[in-house]
Amino acid sequence: MRASGVGPQTSGAAVSRWRLAVGQLLVLALCLSLPTVGRAQQPIVLKGGKLLTITHGVIENGVLVMANGKIAAVGAAGAVNIPGDARVVDVSGMTVYPGLIDSESYLGLTEISAEKSTNDLVELSDEIMPHMHVFDAFHAESALIPVTRLNGITNAIVAPDSQDTLPGQDSFIQLDGNSAEEMLLVRDIAMPLNFTGEQRRNQSWERAKFPFTRMGMAAQLRQAFLDAQDYAQRWADYEKKKSEGETKSASDKDKKQPPAPPKRDLKLEALLPYLEGKKPIVLAAEGPSDLETAVGLAREFKLKFVLNHISHSQPVLDYVAALKVPVIVGPIYEDPKPEERYDAVYSLPAQLYKRGVKIAFASVEAHNVRNLPYQAGFAVAFGLPYDEALKAITLNPAEIWGVADQLGSLDVGKTANVVVANGDPLDVKTDVKQVFIAGREIPMTSRQTRLRDEYSGR
Amino acid sequence: MLHRAATRVKPPIRIAAGFIVACAAAVAQTGPAAHNEVLIKNAVVMTVTHGDIQNGSVYIKDGKIAAVGQNVTAPADATVIDAGGKYLTPGIIDSHSHIALDDDVNEATSPITPQMMMLDAFDYQDKAIYRGLAGGVTTSLLLHGSANMIGGQAIVIKHKYGANRDAMLFPGAPRSIKFASGENPKRVYGGREQLPSTRMGNFEVQREALVQAQEYMREWDDYNAKVKKGDKDAKPPKRDLKLEALADVLRGKLLVQIHCYRADELLTEMAMAKEFGYKVRAFHHALEAYKVADKLAAEGVGIATFSDWWGFKQEAWDAIPWNAVMSMRKGVRVAIKSDSEDFARRLNQEAAKTMRYGGATEEEALKMITLNAAWIIGVDDRVGSIDVGKDADLVIWDGYPLSSYGVPNKVLIDGDVYFDRALPGFGMPHYKEGM
Repeated sequence: MRASGVGPQTSGAAVSRWRLAVGQLLVLALCLSLPTVGRAQQPIVLKGGKLLTITHGVIENGVLVMANGKIAAVGAAGAVNIPGDARVVDVSGMTVYPGLIDSESYLGLTEISAEKSTNDLVELSDEIMPHMHVFDAFHAESALIPVTRLNGITNAIVAPDSQDTLPGQDSFIQLDGNSAEEMLLVRDIAMPLNFTGEQRRNQSWERAKFPFTRMGMAAQLRQAFLDAQDYAQRWADYEKKKSEGETKSASDKDKKQPPAPPKRDLKLEALLPYLEGKKPIVLAAEGPSDLETAVGLAREFKLKFVLNHISHSQPVLDYVAALKVPVIVGPIYEDPKPEERYDAVYSLPAQLYKRGVKIAFASVEAHNVRNLPYQAGFAVAFGLPYDEALKAITLNPAEIWGVADQLGSLDVGKTANVVVANGDPLDVKTDVKQVFIAGREIPMTSRQTRLRDEYSGR
Repeated sequence: MLHRAATRVKPPIRIAAGFIVACAAAVAQTGPAAHNEVLIKNAVVMTVTHGDIQNGSVYIKDGKIAAVGQNVTAPADATVIDAGGKYLTPGIIDSHSHIALDDDVNEATSPITPQMMMLDAFDYQDKAIYRGLAGGVTTSLLLHGSANMIGGQAIVIKHKYGANRDAMLFPGAPRSIKFASGENPKRVYGGREQLPSTRMGNFEVQREALVQAQEYMREWDDYNAKVKKGDKDAKPPKRDLKLEALADVLRGKLLVQIHCYRADELLTEMAMAKEFGYKVRAFHHALEAYKVADKLAAEGVGIATFSDWWGFKQEAWDAIPWNAVMSMRKGVRVAIKSDSEDFARRLNQEAAKTMRYGGATEEEALKMITLNAAWIIGVDDRVGSIDVGKDADLVIWDGYPLSSYGVPNKVLIDGDVYFDRALPGFGMPHYKEGM
């Protein structure tokens, strides 16, 4: 965070009164990071920065007011009323933008990739595991989370790993909070359906297991959805009988036994909100044939869906556009096929955007989620307009995940997830100076900064 | 293409090696390097060694940089490339790569395999060479994996995709040998209940092999001394490829490149090098170098590290993105390397991260993927900067190279354009699918 005496002077008694020395600011930062739930926060005003609002353009020399965890005001200097009790922080020369959103990560499910005991990524005993909920494994105290948010990522989808066709349900998290409870903003927000071939159990003939082929994968998925439909029907029949019985007994005083409820089946139960179209399926495929098979399945069962990856579907992008669904792209660092040009995947976001497809970026990572904005920047180098790239890690994912009323832009009333950086958010050279999550000034420390500081002194 | 057409003509009978060399030379002359007078003008020349030259030009003759500056004269018939104000850098050098080896990276059947020659596995048609080229990489050190404590001997390639195998080898590059340590060898052999399964075992196995090599070297030295004295009855010792390679390590004929993560192991490896009298050229990965950087600097050992990778295994748990710059500030020669097909395509971004994490200057960041990487490979007198006399391995960039937006527009190797983003298909003048 920019402290006093740095950068161009801004006028106004309120500002100079609240200008603080670096030390004081740090102390304040620490105080503010203590649990603040349930008590009113002192409003914080970021003054003089370049605001990338996402929804209403760029405001040079802007003012942003945060109060009670929300954005209370946004506008040009002079046009925004600064509350009298606010702490005003001079951020002139800085760029201010909404917290970034990763549309697929493994945060909280892994600590050290190669150490099995630290991984809770996916259940491999079966391919149909919709009753797995990442919130049950989510490790709120993971060292990866502070490392990640230091780069301005404030929210993420946490998904189970992709080796199952239906590996479980995603949660939408906020990268700060006193507990998993606070961080898990939306549980079971969506369900991945992976159809990339990786889900086949064909590693060797010796250890062959159904589904050995994509045919097996499709058949197994179809059966699972049919079973869930059947299960739903059984419950509907039961509810109907029950209500009929109740009406009857009310009028006829019939002593007949009430109908027995069907046995609960968590696996099939988990599929119901998706069969009812209440929540989106995240349909992952790479090449055209897998994509079309997976879309066919989704249509057969009238699933609401968004697409994921489609890294090698360049030949059918018009077909993709005609589906009128958003696409989670990424990582765009996926290798092209040998027959593809070097930039086939890099340019996919631009190609989709050109066709009117709403896109969002995903890191599909855990330790390297912090590099999400650079992926968006790289897509700009391959033709994606800059504003769209920024939208694809802010407003677009907020809309796709149904949280745009709270996140994704610098707008009044939204959660105060705000990032202050010394430049372009999409550039690798840019240093994030301060992150606010729900209005809390996050300490800019992590396991890594502590190691740095410990060894810098030697 | 001529290079490849020439390779199809097999010599009908075994002929003298000298003749083959002559043929290879003839092929090289008739290859793409034929139009070897090139003037690149109107560029921001990032020289790496002597700052940036605005509105600069580079004159290339015979595949070498013949002149650099704002006022450069070239013959009228030189091919002119107008850079249109774009940035020009030396070709990127990847000091740690496993591309083009078709999974033959580890002869993981014995922890000591110094006799394994990467050249024997070099799959020169691997598209990863092309994709690296399109990312601006012109030279790579192809190393063995880290399953073995001593993996084998590396090769240095130029990314002349579409050329034949031997034309891709960096002429006269010094030999490098790959050592490893830590988790990988102990996992591979420990998993089979073999030695080594601990770090104690790792280093014992290495020390044992070096002791054998000392004896082997002595036997040969004795024999050679006898021959020199005119002893006609002297019997040569039996040749042993494994020990011969290690003896070359002890004789200082190989650059020793060591895969090593943890600070304690960096120190152990340096102690062992001292004990046996060889030098460590560079530690690779070296994610904890920042903890012992002064000691590395004192020994003149370089590092080839990641910019910000961490947490993929226990020995990468203390990795921090400030490692490169903290080590550099203590005097360590630092390179940022890929160790991955993916990163090899955007090493410029990886280097730029050092500007953010620790405040490397533009030139320092660029050095980490050019001149410093060249030093690790031992070719810094030939490539790695835009200086007169060096190979004309150059990249013209769309966008500022040290950013998220830098993308190679053209890549030249030995003065010849090997990649041009504006071309259709693969963007390569010398390559078409199906060649």
